[in-house]
Amino acid sequence: MARLLRMLRIALRAHRTALLVMGGLSFFATYLQGAAFAAAAGHTAVERAAFAQEIDSLASQLAYLIPLPVRADTAAGYTQWRGFGGMTLVLPIWALLAATGAIRNEEERGLLETWLGSGLSRIGLIVARCLAFVMVAVVVVAMAGLGALAGVAASGESVRLAGLLELCLAVLGLLLACYAIALLAAQLVSTRRAATGLGGAVLVALFLLDSLGRINGRFSRWAVVSPFHLRNMTTAMAPGGSFDLPATLALFGIAIVVSVLAAGAFRVRDLGGSLVQGQARDRGVVHTVSPNPLLRLPVISALYEERVGLLGWLVGSLALAALIVSLAGSMNGLLSNASFQGYFAAAGTSDPTLVLLGVFWAGIAALLIAVYAITQVAQWADEDSQGRLEMILAQPVPRWRVVVERAGALALSTALLAGAGGLAIAALAPGQGVHLDGGRLLLAVGLLVVLALSYGALGAAVIARMPRVAAPVLGALAVVGFFMDEVGPLFKWPNWALDISMFRLYGAPLVSGLFATGLYVMTAIVVVGFGLALVAMRTREVGR
Amino acid sequence: MTSAIRTSGLSKDYGSGRGLFELDLEVQPGEVFGYLGPNGAGKTTTIRLLMGMIRPTAGRAEVFGLDAQDQAVEVKRLVGYLPGELAQFGGLRGREVVSYLAGLRGGVDPGRATQLADRLALDLGQRFREYSRGNKQKLGLLLAFMHDPRLLILDEPTSGLDPLNQQEFYRMVDEARERGATIFLSSHVLSEVEHVCQRIGIIRGGRLVQVARLEDLHHLRFHTVEVEFAGPVPADAVRAAPGVDDVAVDGERLTCRVQGDFTPLLAALETARVVNLVSREPNLEEVFLTYYRDAEPSAAGVVADGIDRGAQ
Repeated sequence: MARLLRMLRIALRAHRTALLVMGGLSFFATYLQGAAFAAAAGHTAVERAAFAQEIDSLASQLAYLIPLPVRADTAAGYTQWRGFGGMTLVLPIWALLAATGAIRNEEERGLLETWLGSGLSRIGLIVARCLAFVMVAVVVVAMAGLGALAGVAASGESVRLAGLLELCLAVLGLLLACYAIALLAAQLVSTRRAATGLGGAVLVALFLLDSLGRINGRFSRWAVVSPFHLRNMTTAMAPGGSFDLPATLALFGIAIVVSVLAAGAFRVRDLGGSLVQGQARDRGVVHTVSPNPLLRLPVISALYEERVGLLGWLVGSLALAALIVSLAGSMNGLLSNASFQGYFAAAGTSDPTLVLLGVFWAGIAALLIAVYAITQVAQWADEDSQGRLEMILAQPVPRWRVVVERAGALALSTALLAGAGGLAIAALAPGQGVHLDGGRLLLAVGLLVVLALSYGALGAAVIARMPRVAAPVLGALAVVGFFMDEVGPLFKWPNWALDISMFRLYGAPLVSGLFATGLYVMTAIVVVGFGLALVAMRTREVGR
Repeated sequence: MTSAIRTSGLSKDYGSGRGLFELDLEVQPGEVFGYLGPNGAGKTTTIRLLMGMIRPTAGRAEVFGLDAQDQAVEVKRLVGYLPGELAQFGGLRGREVVSYLAGLRGGVDPGRATQLADRLALDLGQRFREYSRGNKQKLGLLLAFMHDPRLLILDEPTSGLDPLNQQEFYRMVDEARERGATIFLSSHVLSEVEHVCQRIGIIRGGRLVQVARLEDLHHLRFHTVEVEFAGPVPADAVRAAPGVDDVAVDGERLTCRVQGDFTPLLAALETARVVNLVSREPNLEEVFLTYYRDAEPSAAGVVADGIDRGAQ
């Protein structure tokens, strides 16, 4: 028991960053939606009814992502749809990363052997990891609930507490079910990367099953096996919504049964191996050096090593572009809506498809590119702490080359991702009746590279002194910036506050062209950030 | 002639008495120098200073007359480096790691790398994460030797190697020395140093306490003597003999430690009836431990000054 408790403490400690990030994100995601409701929907019953009509119209186009809202004319209904709906997309990603990291990552780092060598049983270990996640998940979901409560109150409305609790229970059930599924997937393969890939693929398949069930009746009977569908059965926070107890219990049942299966698989498999092992292949011993020329090319060698991940990002970028174009093409009806007309006028155009492309594609692509840049910064920090930098600098290469190569690889890879998305937009838009300015599209793509470099520059400057905090700090900056850019205008925050957001600096180049001040500021960040990184790299100490 | 390695007053102060302090050391070209010390003594700190990975608090280090900090790139052209702990290369295969680092270095003969992999029985087709500790060490050795450098700086090179591969490593060091390379290797395994080194430096608590040629160190050695008597044991006479200490008596058996000349001991035994006498020469391990047990760094520094503080 003492060993189990010690392991539980270690596991909880491993979650502390995620607890802060996810807890904060959950709180603000729901709070901001609730608090923004009054500003967005107006104050009279008529205004709110019109707003709900617009939201219903928009939601029907987004039905493959988030279920239709219930009572979008109320703060509780709107927050449930937009706040909790969004969190339902984000939280499973966290569960996936936490589950695959819990066992596989520590196995790859040799920590698992140490812990098992201390006398802790395998079952004890996995129970401690699951318990730690349950505890952290409860806090994160509670933060979402508190955020919703505070946000709705800020809009001058109230929320039924029992309904909010029931919704939180359903979200918690989904989170735990996703964790268990990813934990089981991690036992079936032998590396963390493969576990994340397999677990992610299963979760995406289950998500799509629910999604297809919503928009196509033929799939609806299959959708009941999806945890996402079971979670969406509960809409208890909105007035007139309902709590589906059997569906919620089923979520917890899935979490328990699949966790038990994962524990059983972990108990019988080899450490470092997968549950199902094929016959060992005799591929022969190799003594020759790889002739691959890509490994010897500056910048390209870094991209080559990340080719699988980069391919995944590329597919995601293309899929996003295709999705947004198809969405924009079906939005013409919104032009007749008075509220949206005002929105278009404010954007300086009357073309709704262009606004949607400019706002949705550029906005989401900017967020994705920022996330990509942060993952690259996290990788740089890993390289430094795991001795890779020491091995590179043991070769006759100047220190500045490391910084320049990192910047080059980031610029090239983001150009590839943004360029692919831009090309997909350019190719698909005419088919949807959307007429784009080629120059502005090119500008939007180019500015995405500058945006990525801005995050990279900040990260490069920070990791020289504080490698462990670089990625969390940039992540917080991106999340806060994204929300500020999204809801700040609704709250009429001053421009100087909004300009802190990097997304604001990026602007909306597809709709309104170049935001010159933003470009200047981002360029200054790139120059100063990488400049500081160069100076720090010249003098910093290297080695574990 | 320009020294292969030369440090003067080289210091790296990490606070709380940790680090490296006032290191004056010279290693000549073609020499195999063993750098000995227990964990935390400052071996890796010295090596990282030589490689320009960390900056000294005071003093300077030169490699073939080049400043290790200001001319780090030129230094690394001349050096093959094995770190104490090899970097993580994740999913890259061994052959890709070699190709990548050889690309950064430039001018590496792939045939030489293949030859080394063959000699070390290292499968370059495996992914780095699948390598055992020993195989990672072999890969590190391959990377250090692959460009036939003028100077090899190796941090605990046999760590994790099996005896067969240790022997192969010693042969590689011999061959490197024969072609004129200088080797600076750190270790806490004295037998390893006995195998390959011509000179050693002993570091303790961040200070160099001894530099000597291997044969000079043998002069400092003591002998453990065991004497069996048929009759009374002349314990008092033995204790009084100059150069004899650690005297212990067990029945008719006496053991003692003799430093230097045997004459005083033999004189003390003159009147006794000795039936058996065994003298055993200590290995370096015991010499090493004796230094650490007996000598305070400052006192040992004085001893070292009297023997040899530089290249001979």
